[in-house]
Amino acid sequence: MDLTKDAYRALEDIVGPENISQDQAVMDTYNQVWGNKLVFDAKWSTRPAAVLMPESTEEVQAVVRACNRYRISFKPFSSGFEIMSTALASENAIILDLKRMNRILDIDVKNMHALVEPYVSVYRLQLELAKHGLFIGTISAGAEAGVIASHCCHFGSGTTQVYAGGLGRNVLGCEWVLPTGEILRMGSAETGNEWYSADGPGFSLRGILRGHSGANGGHGVITKCSAKLYHWYGPQEWELQGSLPSLKRLDRVPDGFKAFAATFATRDDAYDALREVGQAGIGFSVWLLIGGEMCEGNDEFWEMFQKMDPAEMQRLAHSLLVILGANTTREMDYREKCLRKIVDKWQGQFLPPLNDPEYLALRSAIMFWSIGTVRETFRPCGEFFITPCTDATEDMIKLQNTAAVEGLMPYVQKGAIMQPGPAPFHLPYENYSVGSHIETIIQFDPYDDDSLQAVREWTDETFDPKGKFCKFGVPCLGGGLQIEPVSHVVQKWGPEYDNYDVWLTKIKDALDPNNLGDWSAYVPPLFP
Amino acid sequence: MAIEEYEHDSLRCTRCSFCKWIPWESMRHPDFMQGCPSASRYNFHAYAAGGKFNLALSLMKGRIAYTEGFLDAVFKCQMDGSCDISCKAVQDIEPLQNMQELRIRCVQDGQGDPAHMLVIEGLKKEDNMMQAKKADRAKWAEGIPVKNLIKEKAKVVYHAGCRYSFDEELWPTARAGLALLMNAGVDVGIMGRDEACCGGRAYEMGYLGELTKFAEHNREVFKAAGVTTLVTPCSDGYQTFKVLYDKIGRKLDIEVLHITEYIHRLIKEGTIRLTKKIPLTVTYHDPCHLGRLAEPWIHWKGKEVKVLGQMIVHEPPKKYRRGANGVYDIPREILKSIPGLRVVEMYRTRESAWCCGAGGGVKEAYPDFAIWTGAERLKEAKAVGARAIVSACPWCTRNFKDTVRERGHQIEVYDIIELVRKACNGKINM
Amino acid sequence: MSGNDTLEKIVGSGNVLDSRDILEEYSSDLSFVPRRRPRCVVRPGTADEVKGIVKWANETMTPLVPMSSGRPHFRGDTVPAMGGSVIVDFSRMKKIIRIDPRNWVAMVEPGVTFAELQPELEKAGLSTYTPLCPRGTKSVAASMLEREPITMPAHHWDALDPFLCAEIIFGTGDKLRSGEAAGPDSIEDQWKMGKAQMVPFGLGQFDESRLVSGAQGTIGIITWATMKCRPCSTLTRTFLIPSETIEPLVDLSYRLIRVRLGETCFIVNDLNLASLLAQSPGEIRDLRATLPPWVLVVTFEGYGVLPEEKVAYQVADFRDMLKQADNLKTIHTVGGFSDEDVSNLLTEPSAEPYWKLRYKGGFSDVFFLTTLNKAPAFIGTMSTLAQSRRFPAEDIGVYVQPIVQGTSCHLEFDLFFDPTDSTPTERARSVTTEGVYDLANMGAFFSRPYGAWANIAYSRAAETNILQRKVKKIFDPNNVLNPGRLCF
Repeated sequence: MDLTKDAYRALEDIVGPENISQDQAVMDTYNQVWGNKLVFDAKWSTRPAAVLMPESTEEVQAVVRACNRYRISFKPFSSGFEIMSTALASENAIILDLKRMNRILDIDVKNMHALVEPYVSVYRLQLELAKHGLFIGTISAGAEAGVIASHCCHFGSGTTQVYAGGLGRNVLGCEWVLPTGEILRMGSAETGNEWYSADGPGFSLRGILRGHSGANGGHGVITKCSAKLYHWYGPQEWELQGSLPSLKRLDRVPDGFKAFAATFATRDDAYDALREVGQAGIGFSVWLLIGGEMCEGNDEFWEMFQKMDPAEMQRLAHSLLVILGANTTREMDYREKCLRKIVDKWQGQFLPPLNDPEYLALRSAIMFWSIGTVRETFRPCGEFFITPCTDATEDMIKLQNTAAVEGLMPYVQKGAIMQPGPAPFHLPYENYSVGSHIETIIQFDPYDDDSLQAVREWTDETFDPKGKFCKFGVPCLGGGLQIEPVSHVVQKWGPEYDNYDVWLTKIKDALDPNNLGDWSAYVPPLFP
Repeated sequence: MAIEEYEHDSLRCTRCSFCKWIPWESMRHPDFMQGCPSASRYNFHAYAAGGKFNLALSLMKGRIAYTEGFLDAVFKCQMDGSCDISCKAVQDIEPLQNMQELRIRCVQDGQGDPAHMLVIEGLKKEDNMMQAKKADRAKWAEGIPVKNLIKEKAKVVYHAGCRYSFDEELWPTARAGLALLMNAGVDVGIMGRDEACCGGRAYEMGYLGELTKFAEHNREVFKAAGVTTLVTPCSDGYQTFKVLYDKIGRKLDIEVLHITEYIHRLIKEGTIRLTKKIPLTVTYHDPCHLGRLAEPWIHWKGKEVKVLGQMIVHEPPKKYRRGANGVYDIPREILKSIPGLRVVEMYRTRESAWCCGAGGGVKEAYPDFAIWTGAERLKEAKAVGARAIVSACPWCTRNFKDTVRERGHQIEVYDIIELVRKACNGKINM
Repeated sequence: MSGNDTLEKIVGSGNVLDSRDILEEYSSDLSFVPRRRPRCVVRPGTADEVKGIVKWANETMTPLVPMSSGRPHFRGDTVPAMGGSVIVDFSRMKKIIRIDPRNWVAMVEPGVTFAELQPELEKAGLSTYTPLCPRGTKSVAASMLEREPITMPAHHWDALDPFLCAEIIFGTGDKLRSGEAAGPDSIEDQWKMGKAQMVPFGLGQFDESRLVSGAQGTIGIITWATMKCRPCSTLTRTFLIPSETIEPLVDLSYRLIRVRLGETCFIVNDLNLASLLAQSPGEIRDLRATLPPWVLVVTFEGYGVLPEEKVAYQVADFRDMLKQADNLKTIHTVGGFSDEDVSNLLTEPSAEPYWKLRYKGGFSDVFFLTTLNKAPAFIGTMSTLAQSRRFPAEDIGVYVQPIVQGTSCHLEFDLFFDPTDSTPTERARSVTTEGVYDLANMGAFFSRPYGAWANIAYSRAAETNILQRKVKKIFDPNNVLNPGRLCF
């Protein structure tokens, strides 16, 4: 659908002719993303009417105002790496590709926060912060994941959240262009142009910014975020070695850290140990290990896999990877001693080859900086999906994992989903003080009818508010990896959960009375 | 392979945008993380390799036609292959091959770049990519008492390439390269005015026919000349002779070497001795066509099979060219053996090197973009404290020199041959 | 039927109080907000009763003022701002619903105080995260909902901490359970599944816990809340680090919190430390005279897997850190009180009288957020400001509490005065309600805008004001919950 000439001209005047396009071919590069086949049954989702690339908050504001004038929907994104980014509920919609808003505006080393624009990636910020002995947590979407996307707009968890928190809890401030065109700077940024607190005066508007998940552009554009930072025990710079990028690794676990892989006899023991490691407050990055080395390519992985001892694979499934960080030798000694005591309590062992220094060096790099890259998730079969997911206590997670594995086994056994089975991505938050996270990862081929059908059936089952999985909570944690006009998660689950759907739609209505912020990954003011 | 055969890859592109960056494992500095000049300069996703997968698929499925945006995105690209390395660090798909086939299809459908068309016309008439006269091709070698392989035989053919042959400012380097071989007693000759283009750049522009034509021609010519080794100081030519000819089934039956490989041999043998100090801090720029693009071609015939339920593998196993086997170390070893020379590395090196800006027809059709790309690279060179940037390809040298002139960068530009010549105590007789 | 009769039907007779004496008691507190008599005081005993009250309030357009803590109150947020208000007093809702020693979580009703909760937690080997010596009658839930800072910044991940989940009755009368507590199943059924209502992240794409925190009861009423707890310490080492000026202590605090070394970490001036330790005005005066101007209080707590080793290494690391600091040493006694005395103070609510009332019988505090490095400048300004309004600077206690793992700090000035003497009272009022503009102009962020601070805060937060009103309209469209507070 084309914009009117006037509308296009108005938008072009704001960003400049080089930074806007309505060329059909260019538009078709903004509606092809993984997940489309599963959700929309086609490689393509709705084609946007135009794509714009604003460079500043002022341009974003002007664009949003123009959208209000001409009644055009808009959807901002930074990397655009998910269905939530590119899906559009209307053809009369534009995409704001925020690639040009890529500055690290400030790093307050003393007070540990960094102010960034939307296109700043987590890894880029990590490289910059390390020079100052600081760190920002890793999200499980690879090194290119955006800081603002993960903190303010979407959901995502990572192995460093045991130490560096996650979801919206690291937002110390943000600048938000509202769907009506006003600009909100939260908290101390509005009252004093300082970015250390997003809360108040009074109650915190972080409460409408996001919950478990974010609005994915559905309630405006986040143009700046002040992200909470953490101490980094490691080097100011580092270089991975190796001839192939995919096989590059640190030559050793960096000074300031030690890594361990503990293997337990049962999954439950591993989960209990994970809880205690969290509670001991010793972990920098903690993860229930899934999978082995991914190798150079699928063929190489298959070759390695065939040589693997099934017993070793079983052991992998009950293994915990723990990276300890410490400021002093004493601190490290203490933390290591704690870890060993916990592992011992749950009859765990530190087995080779998982504790081979080279293997630990490989894993530590991934666990610091780039968990969840394309190699592990997409390359094997083409795509992946995550359901069920939950954030809860370890005891609840045990139940959910059991139910998930049992439920998926028939699909795995008939080869519709990658064997040997679902992989639980599982880690604690904030020294376990706010529970743990688990996602059940299933890998499938969306262009294989049986595989696609299997995932659809499974998703329907886990997305059914009256189904077997309803006791484990709202799927996709209420907003991650689901497109509301298709899956209706909020609409269907809301009534079971104190009508939170009604509150959300009212919030949307209050923020966006003209319903111009695209609601595909959020909610409309009124469900159609 | 035609573009349709990359439909599988297009379907599997996840839009991760890794193609815009160097692999995270290779990132070392927050200011130098991007890998794709096109996406960095023009921003829209269409300019990235992932965008080309999208364009190709939409075109094949009849959703789009050849629009201005389509063609702009296809041709404003150096075909440098950084995207290919980054993508294949995490996927088993072929973005660069897809982009190559897309260009071939564009040309077949009469949608080639107009500026390229002019160059190709010149190629057809005068056997070179420089819109120059074939008759002038040997001028660069005037006065050098070297064998003419049309009349004489030699073991080694020194193929200067189109850029060196017609870019007068660069003639000293071409001459120095030849002189190094001659002084070392190598039995070398040149094709003189009968030297023809390798066809590589034309291929990158989308002209498969030209590559095939020149491959067949050059195969014949070298056979007739009886040479057993081809040496070229041009990385584009090197990659074409070594990799592209093999790719299209016209593999040369002779050894193909870049000048650095030969010089390296001669240094090891002791025939070339580098004794004169060059007190200079330099950084080495990996030419795309000597580095990641020069990995030997891997022929594979087989099928896709599923294992572990849904995992996609191949029968027989398929090896992908992921960048490890380009020529990276040899030029560095040469530089390190020059006394007094201090070599510092940039942040994006080897298979992740940022393109100089000249390739893929960009120098010909979009000179501003070529300069912009070159400027980004010179910024990086300055950032690591280099006073000079050294490359091993005349296209790189030309573009860096043009960038310095246009943008006023305070940095010297050399080809490695020049430094070797200087370090030989100037004892080269020509 | 009169309104009070309807209320009696909801909460039972005897739980609606409207005698003159009682209404007088609830008309004011120790802050400077204007007195206003409520219509009555109602004491619900269950969430359903609370729901009923709120629904009634909507039908009759009656303002409600929730009150969880016992007297005395200091902030003005429990004094009606409107005539005809009904105080909702939670003193009947005092159940400690559950203590979970496995997940370190406690669930309490709003009327549970620190004095009531702490002993019960200790039986389960747990302890609360507390603000600095809260009064015994202070409600634990209210403290969390007010975003009162805790004394352990290393454990303060987010401004919400230690608050986790809650059962909320919004101003519409609708109920919602937040975070992990959400769901059609009962809390008891959730427990059977191993849940502990410990994950605070909001439902879907909004975060209901954040909307009721810092809201001064204007968005929703809590009928239970869960909170993070920590294990009891089996061993505590307390260190007092004195200094003539505050700057070295600020630097040391940064270094400690940066690497999360130790637990308790805060700075007080001589007057506040004396008020915490001593009982009578004379004792406080005498003690103060012997104290250094500033003291940093740090504790290292032994708990968990290796409590003694934990304390041992942390103390050793701390000593190394001290060696690098400018002329800082630890002291073991302050005017006859030991570091252990200080340690004991920190584990219990304040003994009676509440420590801030001991010196002069009355106090008014001014607090806001800033960053630690700016605290010294604010301290200087406050002194000047007080003098300009003729309030004696020497009667101001200072408390600097790093929060959110050191990314900001709660800076508090306690103005002590004799409430029976109108002159200092008026001067304290002047500083607290008008003089604070100077601090706001310097960048003080009144994130918890009680009383007159609301005007100051919202005059600088126009967009926040607009949006909060929109949120208010959603969750309390008839503005029955504590109208007149914040920007409502």
